[in-house]
Amino acid sequence: RRSASLSPSVSAGSACLLLWLCLLGKPPGLGGSLCTRGDSGCPPLSVADLFDRVIQHSDRLHRLSAKKYFLPSGNELAKSARRCHTSRMLTPNGKEYAQTIPREELTYVILRLLQAWKEPLSHFDQSTVHHQDLSDDSLSKAKEISNMVHELKTGVEKVTEKMQSMGIISNSLNGMGSSEAAGLSISNEANLMSNYEFIHCFRRDSNKVQSYLKILKCRIMPGNSC
Amino acid sequence: VQSGSKWATAAQHHAYFYPLLFSSESFSNLSTLPLEMSSPKLNTGFQERSGQPPGKPELIKCRSPEKETFSCWWKPVSDGGLPTNYTLFYNNEGEESFYECPDYTTAGPNSCYFDKKHTSLWTIYNITIKATNEMGSNISEPHYVDVTYIVQPNPPVNLSLALNKHTDGKLYLLMNWSSPPLADVRSGWLTLEYELRLKPEEGEEWETIFVGQRTKYKVFSLIPGEKYIAQVRCKSDHGEWSKWSSESYIHLPKEFRLKDMMVWVFVAVLSSVICLIMIWMMGLKGINMVACILPPVPGPKIKGLDAHLLEAGKNEELLSALGCQGFPPTSDCEDLLVEFLEIDDSEDQQLMPNHEKGHPNKNLKSGNKETDSDSGRGSCDSPSLLLEKCKESRIPPAEFQTPDFSETQVKAAGKSSQETQNRDPELKLPDFNSDGVKSSTWPGTQLASSQIPKGSYHNIVEVCKVAFSAMNVNVSAIRMGNEEKHPSKYSKNIETICEGEMTQRRKGESFHSKAKADQALQWLLPNEKSPFLSDKPMDYVEIHKVNQNGALAVLPKQKENSDKTEIYPIPGTTKEYAKVTRVVDNNVLVLMPESRVQGMPVFQEPPKESAQSLHQSQAEKNMSYCLTAPSEFRLQTGGLEYMDPNSFMCSFK
Repeated sequence: RRSASLSPSVSAGSACLLLWLCLLGKPPGLGGSLCTRGDSGCPPLSVADLFDRVIQHSDRLHRLSAKKYFLPSGNELAKSARRCHTSRMLTPNGKEYAQTIPREELTYVILRLLQAWKEPLSHFDQSTVHHQDLSDDSLSKAKEISNMVHELKTGVEKVTEKMQSMGIISNSLNGMGSSEAAGLSISNEANLMSNYEFIHCFRRDSNKVQSYLKILKCRIMPGNSC
Repeated sequence: VQSGSKWATAAQHHAYFYPLLFSSESFSNLSTLPLEMSSPKLNTGFQERSGQPPGKPELIKCRSPEKETFSCWWKPVSDGGLPTNYTLFYNNEGEESFYECPDYTTAGPNSCYFDKKHTSLWTIYNITIKATNEMGSNISEPHYVDVTYIVQPNPPVNLSLALNKHTDGKLYLLMNWSSPPLADVRSGWLTLEYELRLKPEEGEEWETIFVGQRTKYKVFSLIPGEKYIAQVRCKSDHGEWSKWSSESYIHLPKEFRLKDMMVWVFVAVLSSVICLIMIWMMGLKGINMVACILPPVPGPKIKGLDAHLLEAGKNEELLSALGCQGFPPTSDCEDLLVEFLEIDDSEDQQLMPNHEKGHPNKNLKSGNKETDSDSGRGSCDSPSLLLEKCKESRIPPAEFQTPDFSETQVKAAGKSSQETQNRDPELKLPDFNSDGVKSSTWPGTQLASSQIPKGSYHNIVEVCKVAFSAMNVNVSAIRMGNEEKHPSKYSKNIETICEGEMTQRRKGESFHSKAKADQALQWLLPNEKSPFLSDKPMDYVEIHKVNQNGALAVLPKQKENSDKTEIYPIPGTTKEYAKVTRVVDNNVLVLMPESRVQGMPVFQEPPKESAQSLHQSQAEKNMSYCLTAPSEFRLQTGGLEYMDPNSFMCSFK
C-alpha cells in the first residue's frame, strides 16, 4: 500500500504551484508578482532559469521522500529493493554513463521516470484503505508528493520544449510518447509494492531525477554553478 | 570408496575448495562418501594443533568519497591465535552471483575498495565477509549498501583566512576554501554543502556556521587582537558530514582606533601648550622658579642693622644701627623677658616674677636648656643669650664667636618676640654675620658653644674666652670689608681686657665692675654695659636678657652664688664699683669703671641710643626689676654716679 508519511511542506507545494504556473508560459513580473496563464506581463525565462527551478523542485521532492523514518535499512532495504516497478528501466547508474549518453536520451529518461510515478502516486490519493503503518499525515504528505511530481514533470516537459525550440536537443518525440505508455504499464506493477518498498523506490527515483537534471544542465550550460 | 579401504589423500595449502574427481562407477552415493580432514598444520614448524575457528567478522562501515567509488571496512576478529584470512563477497541487486572484493589493499588493512567499474549507483549491494583460519571459517551478517547514501566526502581543502577592510572601515575576515579534490562538483554530480567553525585560540566553544553551497564566507564580529582558529567541513546532499579540515590560524591585529589616538594627541598637545604658556609667563614676570620651589633659607638678621653700614665702615653708625642701649633692659628686652617666661624652681622663680606677666614660653626654655643649664631659664633669661645678643648686634667678631647658640637663641627669641604683639621685627643677625657664620667654621665657635651652654655668660672669663676664640678666628673670613680696623681694634682691646681678666679670678664684685671687664664687655657689647653686681653678697650679675638693641637685662645671681664659694683673688687693681654713667633709653644703664672714663668717648653715640632705649623702656612697667625706680633712671647724660644695681634689681623676692 501506499505509504508516504512525508514531511509537510504546504508552502513548498504552493511555491511549486506558482513555479509551474510560471513555467506554463506566464512568467512572473518583476518583483515577484503573480503571473497567471494568459498574462503576457511575465518575462520569458531562460533555459538556465528553467533548469534551476526544476532542479530546486526536484531537491524539494527528494527531501520530502528522504526523511529518516522512511529510510529502510538492512533487511528492509533488501526486501524493498527488488520490487521497484522502475527497476527494469534502463537508467545510467553512474556518472560516466550519465555524461556520455546523448542529451535527448537523458531527458527522455527523466521524463519516463516522472511518468512512471505519476500514476501510483495518484492512486495514493484515491486510496481509502488505511493501513496500520500509515498515519493521516502520511497520507496528506503522499498527496503532496503526488502533486509535486506532477508539477515537476510538467516543468521538465517545458524545459524540454524550450531546449528543442532552441535546438539544444533534437526534436525526437518518440521518447516522449513511449514514456507515457511505459509509465502506464509500469504503474500497474506498483500496486504490488509494499509501503516501504514504495517509499524506497520513490526516493531512489527522485534522486535519479535530481542527479540527471543536474548533469543535464551542466552538460547544456557549463559554467553556471557547475 | 565405500568398499575400498584405501584413502585418497591430498594435501591442500591455502585452499578451501578442492574438487574431487570421481568416476561414476566408484561412487554411487556421494552422501556416504567419507571425508576426513586433518587439522591444519602450521608452517612455522611447530606442530601445534591448538586453535579455534575465527570469530564472526563484522562490517564496520562502507563509505564513498565522491559517489563514484566506495570502500568497506570490517573489524578483525579474534583469530584464536591462528592467521585468519578474510574474504568479502558481494551481490548486486537483481543479480544472483556473488563476487569477491576486487581490491583488498587500496583502502588499507581489513578493507575492500570498489573502483568505478565495480560501483553501481542506485543499486543495493549485499556484502558479506568471511573469516577463515586453519580451524574453520566464519561469515558475517549481510550488509546492504546503497552507494547513494553512503557518501562522505573528504574535508575541504585550502582554507585561507584573510583580513579585509569593509567599505565603512570595519575589518572582516574573509574565509576561502575549495571542495575536496575528488568530489566532482563541476559537473553537478555532487552537490556539497559546507559548514564553518571558528573560535579564539583560548576559547572553549566553537562557533559553527552553516554556509551552504558557497565556498567563501565573511565573518564580521571578531575581537581585535585575538588569534582565531578556523575549520571547515562539507556534506553531500544526503550523505554524512566530512571530517573537519585542518586548522587554519589568523591573528587579528589590535585595533587602532583613530578616535582614541586623537584624544591622546589632543591631551598631549594641550598640556604642552599650557606648560609653555606658564613658563613663558613666569619668564616674563621674572619669577625665579627655583626660588619659588626652593625658597632660600633666610639668614638671621638683626633689626636695624644695616649691612651696608657695616660695609661702609662706619662704626658709629653701625653701632647706632645696632641699637645697643644702656644697661637697663629696654622694653624690647622686657618683652623678651616676658616671652621667655619660665617656670623654674622656687628660688629662681622669685628672681623673675615679672616674667610671669608674659606668656611663659616653655618651648624656649626647653630649647635653651643646654645653653643655660645652670639656671634653667629661658633663652632670654639666660645670660648667655643676653650676652650673645648684644654681642651679635654690636661686635661682629664677637658675634662670630657664638654663632651657633646665638643663632639658636636669637631665633628662639625671635620666635617669642613674634608672638607678642608689636614686638620687634624678627631678630635677625646681620647679614654679614650670618654669612660669615655660615661660610666659616669657627673653632672658637665650638669653644664658645661648648662653654656657653654650660653656663651663663656671667663672668668675664667666659666672655674673654669667647672673645679670644673669636679673635683667633681668621678675621678675613668675615665679610667685614671696611670694618677691619674695627675688628682689630676690638680684638686688641678685648685681648687686653681679657688677659687682664683671665689672670684674675673672678670676684663677685669685680665681675663687671672692673674696668677691664667693663671695657671688654663694652667692646663686646658696645652699647651695653656689663652687667654688674652690687657689693652685696650677690656678686654676680647674670645677664638675663639681651634685647636686640643690645640692652642687658641683668639679674643677680643669688643661686649661683651659693654654688660658687670660690672667691677669685683679684690681683692688681680691682674696681669694685660700677658707675652708671648714664642711662640709655629707658632701661639701659651705661656703666663705666672709674678709671676708664676716657674710654667712654668712643661709646658716646651708642650710649645715647641706649639712653633713649632706656627711656623708652621706662614707660613699660613690666620690667619691675629694672624699673622699680624709674625716677632714678632718669639720669643725666654724662654724669657719673654710682648706681647700686640692687636698687633697680628689685623685687625678685
